[in-house]
Amino acid sequence: MAETWNPKIVGFLCNWCCYAGADMAGTSRMKYPPNIRIIRVMCSSRINAEMVIKAFQMGADAVFIGGCHPGDCHYVDGNYRTQKRIAVLRRLLEHLGIDPRRLRLEWVSAAEGEKFAQTMDEFAKEVAELGPSPLAALQREVL
Amino acid sequence: MEQELKAHLKKLMASGDVAGIIALKSERGMAKPYLFADASELECLCLTPKYPMASVARLLLDEDGAARFAIVCRGCDERALRELAKRHQVDLDRLVIVGIPCDEEMARECACPEPFPSVVAVGTKLEQWEAEDIGAAYRAMELDEKLAFWKHQLEKCNKCYGCRNACPMCFCKDCELENALWVKHGRLPPEFPIYHMIRAFHLAGKCIACGECQRACPSDIPLMVLNTLLREDMEELFGYVSGTGADAENPLYTKEEMQ
Amino acid sequence: MKYDNILTTCPFCGCGCKYYIQVVDGVAKSVLPCKEDPISEGHLCIKGWNAIDFVYSKERLTTPLIKENGAFREATWDEAYGLIASKFKEIKARDGAKAFGFFSSAKTTNEENYLMQKLARGVIVTNNVDHCARLCHASTVAGLAASFGSGAMTNSIPEVEDVDCFLITGSNTTEQHPLIGSRIYKAKEKGAKVILVDPRSIQLASIADIHLRQKPGTDVAWLNGLMHVIIKEGIADEEFIEQRTENYGEFKAEVMKYTPERVEEITGIPKADLIAAARMFANAEAASIIYSMGITQHTTGVDNVKSCANLAMLTGNLGKPSTGVNPLRGQNNVQGACDLGALPNVFPGYQAVTVPENREKFEKAWNMAEHIPESIGLTVVEMLNAAHDGALKCLYIMGENPMISDPDITHVREALDALEFLVVQDLFITETAEHADVILPGTSFLEKDGTFTGTDRRVQRIRKAIEPLGNARPDWEILCDVAKHLGSDQFVYASPKEIQDEVASLTPLYGGVTYERLDKEGYLQWPCPNAEHPGTVFLHNGKFSRGLGHFFPVSYKPPAEEPDKDYPFILTTGRILFHFHTGTMTRCSPKLNKEVPTGYVEIHPSDAEAMGIADGDLVQVSTRRGTIQIPAYVTRKVPEKTVFIPFHFKECAANMLTNPALDPIAKIPEFKVCACKVEALGESS
Repeated sequence: MAETWNPKIVGFLCNWCCYAGADMAGTSRMKYPPNIRIIRVMCSSRINAEMVIKAFQMGADAVFIGGCHPGDCHYVDGNYRTQKRIAVLRRLLEHLGIDPRRLRLEWVSAAEGEKFAQTMDEFAKEVAELGPSPLAALQREVL
Repeated sequence: MEQELKAHLKKLMASGDVAGIIALKSERGMAKPYLFADASELECLCLTPKYPMASVARLLLDEDGAARFAIVCRGCDERALRELAKRHQVDLDRLVIVGIPCDEEMARECACPEPFPSVVAVGTKLEQWEAEDIGAAYRAMELDEKLAFWKHQLEKCNKCYGCRNACPMCFCKDCELENALWVKHGRLPPEFPIYHMIRAFHLAGKCIACGECQRACPSDIPLMVLNTLLREDMEELFGYVSGTGADAENPLYTKEEMQ
Repeated sequence: MKYDNILTTCPFCGCGCKYYIQVVDGVAKSVLPCKEDPISEGHLCIKGWNAIDFVYSKERLTTPLIKENGAFREATWDEAYGLIASKFKEIKARDGAKAFGFFSSAKTTNEENYLMQKLARGVIVTNNVDHCARLCHASTVAGLAASFGSGAMTNSIPEVEDVDCFLITGSNTTEQHPLIGSRIYKAKEKGAKVILVDPRSIQLASIADIHLRQKPGTDVAWLNGLMHVIIKEGIADEEFIEQRTENYGEFKAEVMKYTPERVEEITGIPKADLIAAARMFANAEAASIIYSMGITQHTTGVDNVKSCANLAMLTGNLGKPSTGVNPLRGQNNVQGACDLGALPNVFPGYQAVTVPENREKFEKAWNMAEHIPESIGLTVVEMLNAAHDGALKCLYIMGENPMISDPDITHVREALDALEFLVVQDLFITETAEHADVILPGTSFLEKDGTFTGTDRRVQRIRKAIEPLGNARPDWEILCDVAKHLGSDQFVYASPKEIQDEVASLTPLYGGVTYERLDKEGYLQWPCPNAEHPGTVFLHNGKFSRGLGHFFPVSYKPPAEEPDKDYPFILTTGRILFHFHTGTMTRCSPKLNKEVPTGYVEIHPSDAEAMGIADGDLVQVSTRRGTIQIPAYVTRKVPEKTVFIPFHFKECAANMLTNPALDPIAKIPEFKVCACKVEALGESS
């Protein structure tokens, strides 16, 4: 198990900025680790706490949320709400014993393909160092 | 305090300002929430144990769209009413709050952050009260210890939803805890840890530290630990303490950038 | 506006939680836990929290119905009573009292159970009265009465918190008795040891120090095995055996045949685990046996119960706090229904009908001209068999639903259809009521006064919180009206309080129980023989009810049906947390129904894989009695080659499959073991 383990990262990307940034990274043939499974959402604020926790519950080793830079939200203030929500959620994860570094929020614009690739690279390394999520292991026990 | 309160309430009733008084009534030696409409009944008024009186007020204000009630409130009841009012769940203009303080024993039992309401109508509030730091032991734990601790605690869960049902701040008609998208229906114990994480997260900025959830838990799960830690987080991150300041909004609902 | 909280007792399991009903202007709004109630202590389970949902269900019966040309029409009470009176009189004149049967109800009050058996014995003059205790704890009533002299839970619910070592077997306590389950957790936090003996990996398995997963139906073997080890290792309580018991020698000779090796062969329990469990139990300061239908619902139900009694006596765990043999009764008032004589062999308070003085006492009290039969009446399953054979013509069923709850439903249907006249008194048109000639609308626990007796012999009040819905009437009033229409003048009561006063005057067990005391003291635990008696927290203190505790030598007998080539799986059945019994009430609750909307069959992953069954697939389960289609729940909760089906759901009714084979003494059917086969249907549900 241990030698074949590869971090599973669920990425929720905002349609207008981060997803476009990821798209750019792809079309520009920039290299980044294949660990992320991308889910496109209209706004990062669409991501509620339940979705993040559910991703962990279903075996994700980490969750990445990508939104627009402050002031750039297509819906004016969605990313501000996301920012606060994720800050609290990271605390809650920590209280339950889940390393908060497994949940990451970044602002990536449509033009920042490189930043997206770099962030993914960094995050995948970080998660690899953290090892498999303890919740993923617990999930396998339950049936 | 009880006699003094009865006298105070009799006067209030005589003033004709309120349709009734929401308080505890003693019947066959047990306390129950009650709507006193007649001064003669006030002889049966009692003060303990604590019941979630803000929830009773919300029910009665909903049932009667116009009447004005008085309510005997402890510190936690008042905090709950304030938070409910911010969310348009109660109309404070239709409530006359009659504040009573908690004694030291009660305050300690709840590890109450403020065991008295803003205005104490009857009785004397505790001087120099400092609540026990119930989060301390948990903050000191390593991550894997925390996970093991909660795994053990939450495996005892009977999925009664009592923590939610008893919570004065849980007023949603449709509760995400019952949404099968997140928590599989019909499993016992409910899926760890999502069920309890959803509950805790939804109370961030709402929990007024009354302790009703923990008291309602048949399995003695220390739910107030999670709630208290999140209350601290809300204060640390946003300077927000729920139940205080009638004007302050829950930061999770506001549009401003985080500082 | 009028707002009040009415204190009442929960209508679901036997825990007997009291809680408030929040009532605004005569309408019940919700349940509010009562923080000062000694059982619930302000906690409830999900059923308790949602207990008022079914009361206002639009499916509630609110008017009497009479069947004409195969269809029900609404009727007045006078019409319904008139029809019942004329048919009853006709059948009695033609076929005699033996053609009648009465199913009383563990859901109704003590007063109502008293009236039902009074109607059967005092007006129709038959002992053919029984209720669903026959299907749950008849083995307990018979077994513990034989061993100890009293067939009830020996200790009390609050004592569970201070037990040092539990033996929990055949009780999924956190699901079936949540407020007892929560106390097991409390005891565990205080350092108690937990021995769980259950084929399934239930919630309590996570805190069990030892979990023995026996092959279903082998309980006598492992119980004898435990006692074998205890005797052999010299850790039995010699002093207790010497002073408080009899027949030890004969018993010992029997259990010494059950070596751990032999027990492992029969039960599949590893020898080392059995020995460890025996030591743990025998060496504990206060050890308590908690069991439920996993012990009783077998053809060896009485043997299983007697074996539990033997183990408690052998280790001296009786007559002390936090010990004992503790059968957990499944229904709110199944203890009370037994206590009040809704059984074919006893009057209220377990006064045997075979004793002439008892018959004389009741004949005199009820001012009877006829004599009550000296022979015991028919049990639930026997009445249905008699109906099937044509000997029993007329059945009056109050608040029971044998079309879901009894084994082999096909047989039940044929029996009900063979009846000449069937009266059903219920809240809903149940599957059973559909077969009735007359349906009488009774009332729920919110609409009437009375008492329930919880599993720990705790008599408590229920209080009317709202008016009866529509034309529905309190069940005690209906029973009085029926008796009056049959010409009796012995059913005149202004309120249930007066009925209880009559009960007290005739029933030493309840002699000191009055509404005044219940209001003042909150509850009374029987035996409570007189007004000064404080009630009894735990039984057999210093002396057993029968004098000396009796050791019965019990030998292992296999279940009536074992897996074979054609039916290779073991089927076991039971309840789940979110529903109650035949689902009549809980399936009306949106919250409860949402949790578990239909039945399922638990099947082990390796069995599922072998048959190509995925979680959620519709599968077919068959036994020699019937076939159902049901979704699969693939889970390690069940061991390999064993499947579990909850019996609440009519659309995939477990009791289409179960075996009606009976325990020879208690006449309880073997719901917990039969042979079945499982087939994939290749469809997702």
